Formats: sequence, C-alpha cells, structure tokens
Amino acid sequence: MNAAAPSTSLKWRYVRQGLFFGVVRLSAFLITATLLLILAYIFMNGFRAISWDFLTLPPTDAMTRGGIMPAIVGTLYLTVGAIAVALPLGVASAVYLTEYARQGLAIRVLRIGVNCLAGVPSVVFGLFGLGLFVVFLRFGSSILAGALTLGILILPTIIGASEEALKAVPQTFREASLALGVSKWRTISRIVLPNALPGILTGSILGIGRAAGETAPIMFTAATFFTAALPRSVFDEVMALPYHIYVLATAGTQIDETRPLQYGTVLVLVALVLGIDLVAILIRSAMRKKKRW
Amino acid sequence: MEKDKIIRAKNVDFYYGSFQALTGVTMAFEKNRVTALIGPSGCGKSTLLRLLNRMNDLIDGARVEGEILFEGRNIYAPEVDPVEIRRRIGMVFQKPNPFPKSIFKNITYAPKLSGVHRKSDLEALVEESLRQAVLWDEVKDILDRSAMTLSGGQQQRLCIARALAMKPDIILMDEPTSALDPISTARIEELIDELKQRYTIIIVTHNMQQAARVSEYTGFFYIGKLIEFGPTEKIFTNPSVKQTEDYITGRFG
Repeated sequence: MNAAAPSTSLKWRYVRQGLFFGVVRLSAFLITATLLLILAYIFMNGFRAISWDFLTLPPTDAMTRGGIMPAIVGTLYLTVGAIAVALPLGVASAVYLTEYARQGLAIRVLRIGVNCLAGVPSVVFGLFGLGLFVVFLRFGSSILAGALTLGILILPTIIGASEEALKAVPQTFREASLALGVSKWRTISRIVLPNALPGILTGSILGIGRAAGETAPIMFTAATFFTAALPRSVFDEVMALPYHIYVLATAGTQIDETRPLQYGTVLVLVALVLGIDLVAILIRSAMRKKKRW
Repeated sequence: MEKDKIIRAKNVDFYYGSFQALTGVTMAFEKNRVTALIGPSGCGKSTLLRLLNRMNDLIDGARVEGEILFEGRNIYAPEVDPVEIRRRIGMVFQKPNPFPKSIFKNITYAPKLSGVHRKSDLEALVEESLRQAVLWDEVKDILDRSAMTLSGGQQQRLCIARALAMKPDIILMDEPTSALDPISTARIEELIDELKQRYTIIIVTHNMQQAARVSEYTGFFYIGKLIEFGPTEKIFTNPSVKQTEDYITGRFG
C-alpha cells in the first residue's frame, strides 16, 4: 500500500495536468476558430460581389448596383488622417509621461485619465467630435472633423503602446548616451525613440484597425450616405466603408439586392484593415532586424 | 601638489530619498593617475563615482550636499550645465552598453552631436579612439557591422573607445570588468595602464587584486564613509585602520 500510494497520486496528477492543459488549449483553439469562422463566412458570402467595377465605381441604382470606390477612398483618408493626428500626439504624450514627468500623484491621475478615455463608448466620441469640430470650430461634416475625432478615439491605444515601447528600451542606452555628454532631449530623439519605434508601430496597428472600422465616431462628423465624387479637400464629406455597411444593412428597401454588396463591402473593409496591419508588421520586422539588443 | 588634483569631493553627503548613502566624504583625485574605490556592496563607492559626472541627477529623489570641485569649480553649482560636465568626464559602465548601431556610428554618435561633421575628421577620430582602446586591429575591417555582434570584452573596449572619442579629462569606470572573462579582464587592465598617460582614471572595483594591480591610489569605503585613502601599496600592505585590514584580508565583505 505504501508503494502504491505515490504511484496512484502521480497518475492522478498527470490526469489533472492533462485536464488543465486541455482546457487552456481548447480556449486558445476556440478563439482562433471563431476568428477563422467569421473570416470564412465573410469571404464565402462576399467574394462573389468583388469585381473590378465593384472596387472602382461609385454605387448606382439606389445602392443596388455599382461599386464602393468612394467609400474605400474615404476610409483610407480617414484612417491615414486619424493616424497623422494621433501618432505624433500620442508619442509625444508617452515621451512626457515616461521620460520627463516626475512620477507622482499628478501623473498617476493623468494615466488613469488616459485609460478611462480608452473605455469611453465610441458614440460619445462621435458626439464630442460633432460638438467641437463640426459645430464649434465650423469644420462641418468633413474628413478633417472625422480624422480628428477618430484620432482622439485611438489616442489612448497609441499612448499606452508607446509608453510600453519606451519603457522596454534598456535604461543602459539612456545612461550610455547621457554619460557621453549628450543632452536628454537628444538622447530621447536619437537613441530612445528609434529603438522604441518597432514597439510603437505594433501598438499603432491596433489603433489603425479601430480607426478604419469604427462607425459611430464618423457618423456625425465625416460620413455621408452617398456621394459619387471623390473629396477635393479635407473639408469635404466622404463615404466610408463602415458607415456604408451600416447604411446598406438598415436603410435599404431592396434588401435582397443590396445584401451581396453588403457582404462584399465587409470583405473589402476586413481586407483593408488586415492589409494596413500587414504593412505595419512588415515595417516593424524590417526595423527589428536592424535593431537587436 | 594642489595643482595635481583634478577633481575633489569636499564634505559630500548624498541621499536617496531619506536614505543617506554617503556621509562626509572628502577626497582628492590626482591627475594622470589611477585611483581605485573599493569596499563591500552598498558601501557608496559607485554612488560617489556617479556623483563625479552628475549621473545621479537622473535618480528621482536624490540629493547632494557638499561640493564636488572639478578644476576648482563646483559642478553642482546652479549655473553649471551637467551635459558639459559629462563631456569632460566620461564613464564606462559595469555591463558593456554599446548602442545597437554600427561600430563606426557608436564612436561618432556623440562627437557628431557636439559639432564634428567632416567625414575625414570623423574617420580619423574613429581610428584614433579604437587604437587607444586597443581594438583597432580587431575591428578595422568590420566598422560597418553592428556593435552587438562583438564579444563582451570587445564591446567593453568599444565603450571605452566611445568615451575616449569625446576627449575627456577624466574617465570613470564602474566595475568595468565584472561582466568579463579573465582574458578580457587582463586586456582591459593593460589598457587602463596605457590610458593613464593621458587621462585621469577613477575605477570602482569589487576585485581587490585588480585594485592592487592597476591603481596608484586606493580609497576604502564602508557604510557610506571613506574609511581610508592613500597610496595603493600602503593600503594593501600596511593599512592604518583595522576595518581596511579586515576587508582586504577577506575577513568580511
């Protein structure tokens, strides 16, 4: 009995271990499977709608025919605009928070504020953008107002990612530079930021995806139901992919005819977001190859 | 006699927050000599070293009292720019810390920012610094390669070359060989011997044989105080304080 006891308890331990491994493995598998399922579903339903005309023509016949070119262009402008607004501002805030600010109560409150900003529902950002940019600053419903609103929306993501990336740069690099008689600002701009850039980009990828996909923030600030013309200035309204999907799903009267186009639009939006992500990932890995420490 | 002292600490107290790391340290470092600072971990020797080029400025809640006089001027006076001080007082750290750049760019990084721009000047500076650090022959054909590909000992000599490129007056070394193997250590020690012709060197070390081998003067620290300071030979053969003797004979520390 004495000899048998440890061996059964050992067996039981293996069973338990197997069980727990199984559970965690299953969770990981389920998440991936859900993603693949969604992508497959979109692809199966959407790929028939994709054609050269679909990508290069504006919608016609009350959205039942034609393409989505103005929406693709609009979403590209809005996304690039949002990144152009949020990246410099976000990186600058992160540099202040991690490199310059004296860590104390004020900074803690500021950080909590940034995190809260990340939790604000996107429709609130939309209304804020409407109030500030569209009405008060008189930008009207425009690319400018939409890009600024989306920029604020993704700001917390970019600040958070940039802070993490800056903290990941070894303290020894800062010391080495400062000890050579290089000023703090130059140490940050020549040594710290270049080494943090891959990490900053990684975080920004998430922001890009969100900016491209959000509907509520642009509904009141930038997106229009229909325009065949491409925007000529940042004060023009644009069509945008997420809003177009929303319109097709809710406002159409000939649902059977618009549904394939809707799936096609979803597929294009997903492909666009993944494409932008891919570019960011490629840039990052190219940078990482050069910067190994 | 007075003139030969390039940098001196006068009644220096140093605090990390409410913790007092140094108490009443007064000592003067002679020009073109190697001075070793020894003592058990946490005795304040590295703290003093970092005070000499204001690297402790970077620590939140650090406070200095007393004076550090570099060529007669207090480097903690409000009108003194720490950046300027660090240009003239270089530092080599415990772990080799080259930048993730090419060997060439590691050396030209700081000189470029302080106004050396001509390509020929920079190339000459790289060769001169690497020769002084006895690394030139090993890397002259791979200057474009990343410094991260060098061995630990080579990286440390590159860091020394990088400090030399700023043409400092003093080089502070904070346990420069503690992360290196014995052969690399020996090379660095030989290098220190060469460098003292032109530079004043202050080295913190845990290795007492190293202190005995490379330095002319040794200061022994214990719990934030300078216990004994004098010619290395005297400290190691005939110390006048009992604590010093106990430490160097390995009775504690």
